[in-house]
Amino acid sequence: MGSDLILVIVVATALAFDFTNGFHDTANAVATLISTRALSPRLAVGMSAVLNFVGAFVSIKVATTVGTGIVNAGASSTTIVFAGLIGAIGWNLVTWYFGLPSSSSHALIGGVVGATLAAKGADAVQGEGLVENVILPAIIAPVLALAVAAVAIVVAYRVAGRLRPGPASRGFRSGQLVTGGMLSFAHGTNDAQKTMGIIVLALIAHGNFTAANFHVPAWVMISSATAIALGTYAGGWRIIRTMGMRIIKMDSAQGLAAQAAGSAVILASSHFGYPLSTTHVISGAVMGAGAGKRLSAVRWGVAGNIAAAWVLTLPAAAAGGAVVYGLTRVFGTGPTGPLVVSLMAVALLAVVSARRLAEGRTLTAEG
Amino acid sequence: MATLIDVQVLWKLVASSLAGGIGVTLAFSVAIYGATRFVDLRREGHSIVAGGFAALAALALAAVAAAVIWAVSILAQKS
Repeated sequence: MGSDLILVIVVATALAFDFTNGFHDTANAVATLISTRALSPRLAVGMSAVLNFVGAFVSIKVATTVGTGIVNAGASSTTIVFAGLIGAIGWNLVTWYFGLPSSSSHALIGGVVGATLAAKGADAVQGEGLVENVILPAIIAPVLALAVAAVAIVVAYRVAGRLRPGPASRGFRSGQLVTGGMLSFAHGTNDAQKTMGIIVLALIAHGNFTAANFHVPAWVMISSATAIALGTYAGGWRIIRTMGMRIIKMDSAQGLAAQAAGSAVILASSHFGYPLSTTHVISGAVMGAGAGKRLSAVRWGVAGNIAAAWVLTLPAAAAGGAVVYGLTRVFGTGPTGPLVVSLMAVALLAVVSARRLAEGRTLTAEG
Repeated sequence: MATLIDVQVLWKLVASSLAGGIGVTLAFSVAIYGATRFVDLRREGHSIVAGGFAALAALALAAVAAAVIWAVSILAQKS
């Protein structure tokens, strides 16, 4: 009975993480659309939400990696997964508050790794899997996206740079609808699956099925897709503002180049089974679209803050996961610890969401 | 480190990303160029040349559509 209650709390927490993942990463797909006025803010997040929902049903490859490739599924427990999720949600909210587009994937993996380290020690963490699936891609993704976007914007200016500004801008804005849609779809295929993977990890820890029999039940797919779509529709306006307006002052050609480069890198990495953070990719692409025009077009101070958040994400979320695990153990091994911590987290989320809604209205009104 | 990175896959990733990102941007830029020149030339009465630019724009858009369909099919094959 007690373990069932913990499982219910873990699933609810995983879906709450999925929601924060959606609103934290909305900026990945819509920031460039909004800043170049290709779409209104509400329409942009609506389109992104629908495409995230659809994309969530396409594949379970990322879910399998998260569920089996980072920590030993057999050594995990529902309390560890719960603590990891709270650590990830906490870091997502901190970076959202400061408007920093950090990786939700890294926050989730960091949280689970930290809780696992606190509970079972280093042997339970797959160090090689962590380096291969998380750390190396974190270095490669933004650099590659930056380079592709920098070359792409030079090409765009060469071909269409001397056209009358009106028709050219309208054309690039129309193109952004296609590339922005692709980004949202790709995001859904990657990020909704992380929550699916973590829920399945909890189901394995609870004994519903074994790691060797890894699969994603339909109810897990539907609930994860719905949570990320709702989070996306809620919109993380602070990060949208950073990504769309603070890194570079973006024109429509730069918006298209950044989105095309971001989509290409994400899709190519999916094709070759190389797990990249969509946040790192699109942030790098936005910087590249600015740097391709001229290096001074990028506000490198803002870019530096974003890079610092990327570096801090894994250890900070891991520390959060470890602390939450310790906190839950204060109340013993039963459901009381997760229940107390989750009630505290829900209260915090309610306060933060209320503030976010107010900011969303402000940005929407500005246009 | 060498065992953690498959260098061949990494090169393929870099090449595909460059081809896709630059290719789609180029195709859109050509479509915009063709469409804008079509409008301008038709207004000036150069119908035949304008038709050529319209065809160029249509071809570029078809290339973009093909890229999108290919991308969705890649995602669908990931499962």
